[in-house]
Amino acid sequence: MPLLLEIFLMFMKLSLFSFGGGYVMFPILMREIENNQLISMSELADVIAIAGMSPGAVAVNAAVGVGFKAAGLPGAIASFLGIAIPCAVIVIVVATFFFKVCKHHLVKAAFYGLRPVITGIILYASYKIASTNGIFLSASDSLMENGINISAGSTHLFELKSFLIAIAAFLLLIKTKTHPVLIIFGAGLLGIILF
Amino acid sequence: MSTIKKLRKLIDIYIVFLKLGSVSFGGGFAIVSLMEKEIVQKRKWVDKETLIDIFAISQSLPGAIALNSSAFVGFAIAGIPGSIVALLGNLTSPVIIIISLTLLFNRFRSIPAIQAAFRGIYPAIVALVAYAGYVVGKTSIVDMLGFFIMLSSLLLSILFNIPPIPLILAGAFLGITIITTKYQISCKVNKYRRGDD
Repeated sequence: MPLLLEIFLMFMKLSLFSFGGGYVMFPILMREIENNQLISMSELADVIAIAGMSPGAVAVNAAVGVGFKAAGLPGAIASFLGIAIPCAVIVIVVATFFFKVCKHHLVKAAFYGLRPVITGIILYASYKIASTNGIFLSASDSLMENGINISAGSTHLFELKSFLIAIAAFLLLIKTKTHPVLIIFGAGLLGIILF
Repeated sequence: MSTIKKLRKLIDIYIVFLKLGSVSFGGGFAIVSLMEKEIVQKRKWVDKETLIDIFAISQSLPGAIALNSSAFVGFAIAGIPGSIVALLGNLTSPVIIIISLTLLFNRFRSIPAIQAAFRGIYPAIVALVAYAGYVVGKTSIVDMLGFFIMLSSLLLSILFNIPPIPLILAGAFLGITIITTKYQISCKVNKYRRGDD
């Protein structure tokens, strides 16, 4: 399949199945990229980091970043269209014909089961980013060379410095509602000091 | 005359959403209050109740909530062209910024300080995504059963590497099954009670 078509279809699929907001795109995106290897997992981590620094929906930013990394400007356009077209079509159809469908009891019932599943897979995405970047429970080939790796037997538990940054960031988000962009810049500065 | 008016309106919509898309760091819910200010208070394009309805519905559609709600508001103001223009406006500056940042990063990635900064940012991203899970979980897990479903989806992903899309579909199916079963049971119980009286 031509590369651009592959990118377009991948993001169309992502757009159609990410019920419950943009963050659900992350686990789906990771799975797709594991399968098609359009970019490497560490490149994906860079893309997600850059996406977090930019305005707009993080998942959409990540999508454009992936498209751009994989195939340059045409790739970015393909991923942009893959995200935007289903969105426009769905909204137009719903707004024209089914404004009431979304309040239907079956839709509500579906979300009763959907939302916990989404919670689970978003948490999984977080775990996955951590484990592929040597932060915790990582395989021996993704460990950091200059990190303080804590292991139990042959199992990697966590790398101390990153682990502390992650915990601190999480607590700041929950307790003080610090803006995500500030968290990212703060963590970048900490990274320069610590690594 | 009216064509010019329509065109002018579309340009207005594009500019407003360009503005919204350029400042909405963090996406999703960050856009809610901004949209209220720009579209309801300042321009009076839609009323507040409609906007609340639009957000509620955008959440039950697939895709990023910020995009869905933008397209919806655009549609409410000026039909299909309005929705397309709103979507384009919202995405313009993120696309430009992402591409520029990626190019910058590619150029400077070999500098040790940049690499170290990214080393620090990865754990923050882990926390941000976990926090997104926490926020969704807080409003969506209402009982033990919900918690159990969440745990199952997490474990099925980690241990058996089950892809997310089948899990999402299974979740929807499970939700419908559970709620309909609950409803039927409560109907039977009510009937039984009425019979008793």
